[in-house]
Amino acid sequence: MKKHASRLSPRAVAMAFLLVSAVAAAAGAQTTPNPQTPPSPQGGVIVITGPSGRRMPVAVPPLLAPGVAALQSKVSEPFTATLRADLDYSTALLVTDARNDPSGSRDISTPEGAGRWLSTGAEILVDTRGDVAGDRVSVEARIWDLKSRKLIFGRRYSGGVSFVERIAHTLANDILKELTGQSGMFLSTIVYVSDRDGPRNKEIYAMDFDGRNPRRLTNHKSLILNPDARAGKIVFTSYVKIYPRIWIMNTDGSAQHEVSTGMELNASPALSPDGSQIAFAGSAKGNPDIYAMSASGGSPRRLTSTHALEASPDWSPTGRQILYTSDQTGSPQIWVMDAEGTGQRRMTFAGNWNDEAAWSPKGDKIAFACRNEGDFNICVMDFATGNTVQLTSEGSNDHPSWSPDGTKIVYQSRRGRGGAYQIYTMDAADGKNKRQLTTGGSNIQPVWIP
Amino acid sequence: MKRNLTRAIPMILAMAVALSFAGACKKKPPTTTEGARPSEAPSRPNETQVSPPSSSQPPSVTSEEIPSDIAKLNTMGYLKDAFFDYNKSDLRDDARTALSANADWLKRHTNLQFLIEGHCDDRGTTEYNLALGDRRANAARDYLVSLGIDSARIRTVSYGKERPFCTEETEDCWQQNRRAHFLFTASR
Repeated sequence: MKKHASRLSPRAVAMAFLLVSAVAAAAGAQTTPNPQTPPSPQGGVIVITGPSGRRMPVAVPPLLAPGVAALQSKVSEPFTATLRADLDYSTALLVTDARNDPSGSRDISTPEGAGRWLSTGAEILVDTRGDVAGDRVSVEARIWDLKSRKLIFGRRYSGGVSFVERIAHTLANDILKELTGQSGMFLSTIVYVSDRDGPRNKEIYAMDFDGRNPRRLTNHKSLILNPDARAGKIVFTSYVKIYPRIWIMNTDGSAQHEVSTGMELNASPALSPDGSQIAFAGSAKGNPDIYAMSASGGSPRRLTSTHALEASPDWSPTGRQILYTSDQTGSPQIWVMDAEGTGQRRMTFAGNWNDEAAWSPKGDKIAFACRNEGDFNICVMDFATGNTVQLTSEGSNDHPSWSPDGTKIVYQSRRGRGGAYQIYTMDAADGKNKRQLTTGGSNIQPVWIP
Repeated sequence: MKRNLTRAIPMILAMAVALSFAGACKKKPPTTTEGARPSEAPSRPNETQVSPPSSSQPPSVTSEEIPSDIAKLNTMGYLKDAFFDYNKSDLRDDARTALSANADWLKRHTNLQFLIEGHCDDRGTTEYNLALGDRRANAARDYLVSLGIDSARIRTVSYGKERPFCTEETEDCWQQNRRAHFLFTASR
């Protein structure tokens, strides 16, 4: 793979080609929401997750692309597969089995038409029709509530044929936003560390939320660890100058440069939500503490001053508090403090090693690596009550990071002694739907960014 | 290979020490690094094998003649590593013994600067182990300074669990990986 510093990010390219516009609904449609207005679920009609956490069944038949049969494999199949996979990955929706889809008309304007789809168990129909002109594809999407036979929304998407999967991700995001009030994660990115290009080196990579399109962002030919990403920036520790130093770059790997701290260790850098500050584990004469400094450089401010070991800071979504690990009580535990270093208090009391805390996007929960004896697992604690659930039990699992919508957690897992770590995702609420995203080499320290 | 006796004997002793370290972790060779680690570790001598000294020759340990080449120097095993308990950075008795011997040697070779690397076994998290390795390297450094070694000669670096000396999931191997490791970096 070549140097990436000058590469345009795939997202920037895609957005330049992708246009989203509202379409007039087909005859008989009762409503056509304006995509410019804030989305709101149709009052009272759509109940996505009740107390039972029920997933709404949705039918997603293939993209209809009349007259372009030759483009079936290039347009319709990848579009449909991507849209179905995205919606089924969400914790709010359940895509119904395509083999049960009724054949023929998708007209649901009559009770009989809607009934044919309702009988499959679906409550929502995602009807998509495509057209190809030259190297461009346009997709008209209409999302129907089958019970009320009302259009939830209709929208037209267009872009280059090679971006057909990106169009599907965009539509999937919009469907989630209309139905749940919160955009999907289908255009998000996971940044991570891998040795896949040479076992003696570790570099930073990025991939799509589903593990597709892995791409290398650094080329230090050295040891790089501890990425964190916020506000369009990635910070990390690099050994390219023999001793570990903190570096910063854009999320596409451009504009890489060192941020000098004047300290040793320079481990686990963490960006504040606005990207203006870096908290990190710094050391003066063998005493690792949490420090913070401006991301543009300057003198570090010492936030902890124990004789114990402090590491792994993570800023709250408001930027007003910092989670971190301290072993001042004799074992590594999660602590929290104000961003100025005041108000330090212990958060975890169960187990003999709790580490790598990550604040949820809403700030109401923290995920962390928890261990009593044996291997690490992923635990999630309610910040206010301290109630904790363990979400993994197989292999060794650590380094959690939340999806931008807070419904998923990405983490590293090693199955079997001596095996390589790979990156997985799971549902944040209950640990279900575990999915392996990486293969090849050791893939660690994932960070999920919008 | 021709060597004069006063040079050969200390080398032979150094090799014997180095080989005894290597023997503790022989199933798989330790992972080596490029760039960050200046040269081979003393536990892995890559010199030509030297036969043991005959018992009729009393060992001499007073040779002041050392290789001028830093890379070669790091194969000689002059400085002993200090080993640690799990998730600890305080110095055990065996670590103090090793460091005292290092201090004696370093006082006789004041032209050499060196690096202390802090290493950990792989049972903690990456980030925590970087901090723990920093504590271990500095614990070794502080003890040498307390024994009279000029701190200006010493630099420290932590590799956490990133540069293991062996990779089995056994207590023997974990112990090998919990160490402060010495490397010469320059001669002035």
